[in-house]
Amino acid sequence: MYIAWEQLNSDMTIGFIQYSSELLFPLAAVILGYRAIVAEQVSGSLKFILSLPLTRGEILLGKFVGRTIGIAIPCFLAFGIITVIGILQYGLFSPLRYLGVLVITLLYLAVLVSVVTSISTLVNRTATAAATLFIGLILIFEIAWEELVTVFYYLMTGIQVNRLDPPPEGGLFLLERLSPSGAYNTITNWILDAGNSASIHSQVLTEIQPGSTTNILAVETAFSPESVPLYLHESVGILILGLWGLVPLTIAYYSFNKGDLE
Amino acid sequence: MSQEEYHAIKTEGLTKQYSSETAVDDLSLSITPGEIYGFLGPNGAGKSTTINLLMDFTRPTSGTINILGEDPRNDVVSVHQRVGVLPDDFSLYESRTGREHLRLFIDTKGANDEPEDLLERVGLEDSIDDKAGDYSRGMSQRLALAMALVGEPDVLILDEPFSGLDPHGVRKVRKVVHEENDRGATVFFSSHVLGQVKLVCDQIGILNEGCLVAEGTLEELQASASINTELKLTVDGDPKRAAQAIDTLEGVIDVSAPEDQIDEQTESERQNHVNKTVTAQIISDEYRRDVIDTIEEVGISVEDTRIKDPSIESIFVAHTSEAPAEVNSND
Repeated sequence: MYIAWEQLNSDMTIGFIQYSSELLFPLAAVILGYRAIVAEQVSGSLKFILSLPLTRGEILLGKFVGRTIGIAIPCFLAFGIITVIGILQYGLFSPLRYLGVLVITLLYLAVLVSVVTSISTLVNRTATAAATLFIGLILIFEIAWEELVTVFYYLMTGIQVNRLDPPPEGGLFLLERLSPSGAYNTITNWILDAGNSASIHSQVLTEIQPGSTTNILAVETAFSPESVPLYLHESVGILILGLWGLVPLTIAYYSFNKGDLE
Repeated sequence: MSQEEYHAIKTEGLTKQYSSETAVDDLSLSITPGEIYGFLGPNGAGKSTTINLLMDFTRPTSGTINILGEDPRNDVVSVHQRVGVLPDDFSLYESRTGREHLRLFIDTKGANDEPEDLLERVGLEDSIDDKAGDYSRGMSQRLALAMALVGEPDVLILDEPFSGLDPHGVRKVRKVVHEENDRGATVFFSSHVLGQVKLVCDQIGILNEGCLVAEGTLEELQASASINTELKLTVDGDPKRAAQAIDTLEGVIDVSAPEDQIDEQTESERQNHVNKTVTAQIISDEYRRDVIDTIEEVGISVEDTRIKDPSIESIFVAHTSEAPAEVNSND
């Protein structure tokens, strides 16, 4: 915390938004969204929606947008409180950075709701949706991702990764920011000028301190400035988030539009 | 009205094959605008699957569907704008009120209806602001019907609209169906109860195991097969004499009185008038009055009458070669 304060000063408040969204949003999206389509299909209320003068694409889009707004409102109200407290505690932050992080945070939420809605469309049972999302999105892509990345990387390349002294392997760093939260952290760290990494800003700031050694993967400490691959630029995170938003929804649309929905 | 719109609903060779069974088999329907069409068949005959196909909830394996001149799959928005459906096996949004359910439909269809008026028509106006989760089965059914009425649809598709309703609710629904039909709507409804279909429909189609086995007006169906109504009369007098009196009456097909069993009856059965029951097979309910009058003319008073509509099974016996082996007359 102290290092974060030293580096970010009044932008600490913006850091808190990243910190609270990174894990809470996937949980909120899964808990409030896994029933979106599948529960209506099982219960039979989907028939009413299907009987309205709407295309199936519009129904799916409506579910996605509705759930996103429904989850965004309480979350952004909470950010409002964080903002007020933050200003009182740390002073006025950079409004541009604040706005930038809020936009990316909203994008992150929409991406998560897209994944959740899509899974809810693709499965036949409510329990399957819950299990798939908790194991897939929360357990694998959120909680265990950093550990899994080193294991995957070893299995794919045979290179043992010591996270305390990571090798300048572009693929390893890319893999880590391929999760939704990894991409989100990368972009928001970029806006905050907190280093090029898929981890939380405070951890990254600690890692890039001279003489500090943590298990956080930061591009600055592993690569020399001229050897950083282009795909490790922070802006690629936006592309990754965009794919997480579009690919599942596209698959869900084709499945939803094609089959029987009684 | 263009040539294409001559039929409110038209299907040709409509088939829906699931992995192991054919739910709807080569079904061709032509429903004229302004008609009330009763789609009759036992549970599992494929009635709901047909309705799901008409509504584009499920997609046909083969065959074509045309509703009001349009394909419900390619023109789903304009078809659904003009169609109201009461689906089977539905559930409402438990935490939403009746008013909110109707608002969703009114707003999406861009209709001018008022939720109060719609719910009054189905007799649910007192529960307009109650949560649908607190509705009984019959109330849910009536709210769903009100939702189908939103926007004055040209075609109403009702899947088992009378199920779960008390007699009062049944009358309400029947009235609504007639009101909608008078307004000009075509009504297509499915039922496994012949009684309701008889009272409401102009045209009846009978579905069995996914196939349309008979179609026509009630009179036509009765003419092509003897579908009798069973009338049980409890008489205060000699049942044998009562039976003789009506034996040759018009509209009476067969009469039986328990004359052969009298000796075997116990005293308690005698007390219970079991031996005073005359069973008459009549062409339809309309002849009941004549039968009663004729018996009373010979000086025997009729204490009780019970009427039993021909069971749906007896219609299948009459209209299918692969009839059920045994007709359950207690249904």
